[in-house]
Amino acid sequence: MPELGTLVHAAVEAADDGEQVEAYAEEGRQTEVSALRSEIEGMTFAESRGLGVRVIREGRLGYAWASDPSEDEARETVWRARENAALSEPDEHNALPDPRASEAMPEIFHEQSVTVGADDKVRMALELEAYTVSRDPRVSKVDLAQVGDAVSRVAIASTTGVDVQYARTDAWAVVVTLAVDGDETQTGFSYAITRGLDELTWEPVAEEAVERAVAMLGAIKPPTAKVPVVLDPFAASSFLGVLAGALNADNVLKGRSLFADMVGRAVGSDAFTLVDDGRRLDGPGACPFDAEGVPSGRTELFTRGTLRGFLHDTYTAHRAGDGQRSTGNAKRGGYRSTPGVGTSNFFVDPGDLSYGQLLASAEGGVLIMDVSGVHSGANPISGEFSVGATGLRVVGGAIGEPVREMTIASTLPEMLAGIAGVGSDLRFFSSVGTPSILIGEMTLAGV
Amino acid sequence: MLDRELVADVLTAARRKGGDFAEVFVEERSSSSIRLDDGKVEELTTGLDRGAGVRVAHGISYGYAYSNKLDRDALLEAAAAASAALRGDAAGPVVDLTDRFGPGTNRANRAADSVAAADKVGWLREVDEVARGQSPEVTQVTGIYFDSLQRRLIAASDGRWIDEERPRIRLVAQVVAKRGDVIQTGWDGPAACAGVEFLDAHPPRVTAERAATRAVTMLDSIPAPAGEMAVVVANGCGGVLFHEAVGHPLEADAVDKEASVYRALVGQRCASELIDGVDDATIPNGWGSYDFDDEGEPAQRTELFRAGVLQGFLQDRLRAAKMGVQPTGNGRRESYASPPIVRMTNTNILPGKEDPDQILRSTAHGIYVRGLGGGQVNPATGDFVFGVSEGYLIQDGQVTTPVRGANLIGRAIEVMSSVDAVGSDFETWEGVCGKDGQSAPVGSGSPTLRIGKITVGGTGA
Repeated sequence: MPELGTLVHAAVEAADDGEQVEAYAEEGRQTEVSALRSEIEGMTFAESRGLGVRVIREGRLGYAWASDPSEDEARETVWRARENAALSEPDEHNALPDPRASEAMPEIFHEQSVTVGADDKVRMALELEAYTVSRDPRVSKVDLAQVGDAVSRVAIASTTGVDVQYARTDAWAVVVTLAVDGDETQTGFSYAITRGLDELTWEPVAEEAVERAVAMLGAIKPPTAKVPVVLDPFAASSFLGVLAGALNADNVLKGRSLFADMVGRAVGSDAFTLVDDGRRLDGPGACPFDAEGVPSGRTELFTRGTLRGFLHDTYTAHRAGDGQRSTGNAKRGGYRSTPGVGTSNFFVDPGDLSYGQLLASAEGGVLIMDVSGVHSGANPISGEFSVGATGLRVVGGAIGEPVREMTIASTLPEMLAGIAGVGSDLRFFSSVGTPSILIGEMTLAGV
Repeated sequence: MLDRELVADVLTAARRKGGDFAEVFVEERSSSSIRLDDGKVEELTTGLDRGAGVRVAHGISYGYAYSNKLDRDALLEAAAAASAALRGDAAGPVVDLTDRFGPGTNRANRAADSVAAADKVGWLREVDEVARGQSPEVTQVTGIYFDSLQRRLIAASDGRWIDEERPRIRLVAQVVAKRGDVIQTGWDGPAACAGVEFLDAHPPRVTAERAATRAVTMLDSIPAPAGEMAVVVANGCGGVLFHEAVGHPLEADAVDKEASVYRALVGQRCASELIDGVDDATIPNGWGSYDFDDEGEPAQRTELFRAGVLQGFLQDRLRAAKMGVQPTGNGRRESYASPPIVRMTNTNILPGKEDPDQILRSTAHGIYVRGLGGGQVNPATGDFVFGVSEGYLIQDGQVTTPVRGANLIGRAIEVMSSVDAVGSDFETWEGVCGKDGQSAPVGSGSPTLRIGKITVGGTGA
């Protein structure tokens, strides 16, 4: 089995004169163990490797990929990508990046995590489930109690001189609880992600999943009204994916973003600063360089409400012109797909308000704990959204009765302009993070 | 793809500690996709994927390991990993592997790989031209063509050996229309398990027209109202609602975990008596159809509701064995990289008797939904939401102004019980469903139907 470095070099060496070739290879190992009713429900071991090749010839781009290729198959992949390039149309902005020095990030690989054995993962999952169902008499069942970890390696080389590699580890615990009271069932979700299993503390995940389910018992459907809203980090993070789509330079350049003509404008309130920072080590999306080998960096998208710019990869930077450089935001779904603009650690900069201060400012409103249907109910092109929500009323500066079966609706610019306060409780969910956010007024539809 | 002797050895290795059964799933998938965006053919991608997964099941527990290497050592290693969690020490038997043949539900008359890439590119150019030709307000067009051929081998320790090919094809048009500061989008994307003959019945031109018309129509929209009202759901759209709100809670894994609102309701009326619903994997060339599911169970048509009475659940092998019922052929997986889970195939509300126009005429006030963007359900509580991508006001029985930013929210049992009219028309819709991190192509279908009362989440009055 060839090393990743050998594979990408074999592909790059198969380049013809007059063309650019980039090879991206990755390999990963992942384990997931879930427990149910004191037994192992499922245990999955995954192992994969593959190669994706971009060929740019006379401005035409072609892509091909192969799973677990030999060196010969790596060269064949180049030929197939070349054939595909011949059929696509020339675009003068198609180009591979020139190499830029990127600082290694050894911190994102935890050797200790790699050596944790399957038996220990099984034990963790069983303990996680047992602990979860021991916390509250109303929570005797879980929908999911899972522990997982992954080790991955990436190598990228190109005819323009990019030649980089890195390795990373990730570990996580997920719990979905079922709280039952009479005929009623409510669910509660919690999640933690860390660099390695060695630093995963799962007890708070169990506790939070129990608390969030129990809090929703007895929820009623509220009347339709315009009220102040606090989005907790779970709920607020759901909107970041929509924002990421609207701030993606590819969408901006192709007329698919409402923010296209708003750079320099005060779109949001001055409490709102939004950042992408691939070098922030406490974010799960940390990596030394992006999916084209461009070093990760820090990009402020909104600074105190003012739109500063967009997320770029090499293509969009070329196309935007004006000296725009890639912001190191080329991302891929894996070796099967071409790179496109994506986020690394994408987060709302925390403010200094405590949770209590946020609630005190939302009198008569609702603390939203979960939103649903964001993928279908929010449109990153038009900026409109209407999503399902559950949460707790805010009464006398504290949380009150639970409410469900309601929607919150607005537009992204209205929501951003309506941000009246940002909490200090920044929390990352996979590669997006946010603190609690207070919004002055939103339409809440219920009865 | 692999010889029987090797597969039998892998199954034997996987049963070294017993368990109820062992299974090998081998897959080879070639795919090609073309993307036209911003007036240009941006990208042609071809891929070849292959791999194998080994599963060992015991009760509802399983161990699963996969590899995208298909040599003997890699497969035996996967068998060892998949069986590692078992506690037994008595090896289980492996029955002689014997072919099982299906009816050939998904035949392709003209295989996609027999068509030159240049012709496929031509279909996308047509999408671009037709969509832009619909209106000067069309400002952006994305066309995506996709085909794949998946060959799967499923072999298990009970002797099943199934080799099935599934061709897939899809053509998507996404259109952006702009007027001043208002941007709206329209989408259409017919799909099937078929060859390129599918595009004779669903020509690229029509797909482009539909997407463009939707985007341009929505430029005239006003913010959707908020609150409870009657909603008429156009034919095709109700299937998505049925899939989401009802189908997911009827999947036996949710039932087994007591995480389904329907868990104790078989034999009881929990939908309007106008509702007959099925999950049907046997529809020829259906987007969610097959001969055998990904556990090697024969595809079937499963009755879910008869006159509003719940008939049963969707099962995979593990859940069916535990509940003491027959599997329903609903064990599906995204690829060799994932263990099978309980999933829907083509989930339909069957047509009723009413004239769809009459349903609208008899609705005094409400919303007419002609496009649903997809949705989400919490199976344990039955709470669901749907984004409305194309909606209109109904005023005095007439469909009038388009509305935007609407969402439907409700609880499965209440909403399905409040259906008070079911039309005689029927239309399907093809989508991709996400569950437990796996995506699966699913079909859904319905006639026009009216929900007497449901919460519409908008911002308007």
